[in-house]
Amino acid sequence: MTIIALPTMGGGGINSNVSPRFGRCQSFTFVTVEDGEIQKVKTVPNSAANAMGGAGIQAAQIVGNNGATEVICGFLGPNASQGLSSLNLKIYQIPNQQLTVKQAIDMYLKGELQEISQANVGAHYGMGGGGRGMGGGMGRRRF
Amino acid sequence: MAKPPIITVTGGKGGTGKTLIAVNLTTMFKNEGKKVLLIDGDVENPNTNLLLGLELKNKTPVMFFKPVIIKEKCSKCGLCAQNCATNALLWVKDSYPIPFLSLCSGCKLCYKICPEDAIKEDKKILGWIYEAQKDNIDLLVGELKPSEARSASVVEALLEKLNTTLENEPEKYDVVILDTAPGAHCDVELLLGQADKIIPVTEPTKFGKLDLERIIQLIKLLNKDYKAIVNRSSLLGFKDEFLQELAEQNIEILGDIPLDDEIVQSYCQGIPLMDDSGKFDTNGAGYQAFLKIFDNLKIWMEDHKMQEVKK
Repeated sequence: MTIIALPTMGGGGINSNVSPRFGRCQSFTFVTVEDGEIQKVKTVPNSAANAMGGAGIQAAQIVGNNGATEVICGFLGPNASQGLSSLNLKIYQIPNQQLTVKQAIDMYLKGELQEISQANVGAHYGMGGGGRGMGGGMGRRRF
Repeated sequence: MAKPPIITVTGGKGGTGKTLIAVNLTTMFKNEGKKVLLIDGDVENPNTNLLLGLELKNKTPVMFFKPVIIKEKCSKCGLCAQNCATNALLWVKDSYPIPFLSLCSGCKLCYKICPEDAIKEDKKILGWIYEAQKDNIDLLVGELKPSEARSASVVEALLEKLNTTLENEPEKYDVVILDTAPGAHCDVELLLGQADKIIPVTEPTKFGKLDLERIIQLIKLLNKDYKAIVNRSSLLGFKDEFLQELAEQNIEILGDIPLDDEIVQSYCQGIPLMDDSGKFDTNGAGYQAFLKIFDNLKIWMEDHKMQEVKK
């Protein structure tokens, strides 16, 4: 039995879209897979979505606390990546296109997802207003 | 006993000549026999020593709190991670919390609230403070360790040193000059907060004006007294228009400094223009401009003193 965590849009669930952002996704969907079949789906809101900083760490914590051992995601920032690695989770990256949780899990089961070991974008990627773009403003940390 | 006046040289925009002006004001005070403390608070790019032609000495590390989890004592309760405001501790049920030092603000809350005393207060080097000395000038320079983010803590360490000196030996210096980094962020704010007088340095360009307006917003928030200096004022003939614009916004200036090859030479050689080196023409445009600014500064400081006495 494997529990896979996916960052999702809205409330999450098997038919919701995978969120391209990890640390600041709206929810996580946890899919339990056994013998190539989906056994169980659980959703958890992402309380880190609006964190001032360190959202990736907090999100990794939510993933870890819900028993996941593998993660499927789009973009992954440096904090999230370090957080997930320190929990020894396997990380798979979906291709750069909109997928539902179901579609992503199907690709995973067919072995079509690429495993990654480190961040694929910089901190606060995708925080810009409007569409997907480099987030401004918060990159430089000053306190 | 009277503490020395503190003048902060700032400016918003990078490369306007903040350090050039801080160093030459320092030099002119020294020329008058005054004992001056100059502090370079641009901790990400400290270079005042180069302009003064001084070698830095007495390198002292600036330490920063670093939490260390003592596994033998830790009950894995997660209280530390749940209360960490910057999410610098990652904790998953039944495992030890993992510190992420780059996110740690150094608040020590984890250390204080741990019910098992399982967090040890360790230190990491955040940067360094250097000293240098020449004639009547004492120089303090802060440097942030490359890759570290908490530059304000190095500035705080510089100010702590300043305030300790002012407490213990209030008459050691006749004047203190603080040189800030560009920008209007917390490093700069700390140095502005200490000032009796603030001199924002700008240049007659759109960038110069925009950044000057931003730094003045910050100065006004701090309720401080300021007068600007327009450096490179002869640049492409924008001077009159620029001064007019400042006047319209009621931004007073101490003076302006035209482009002058001798300033460039002094900069490249690491000899302050206003030093009695005999290398520079005392009738030169830059030299004369600095003298005029210094006179205006002294008048401004006298006015300030009078107001203080009236109070």
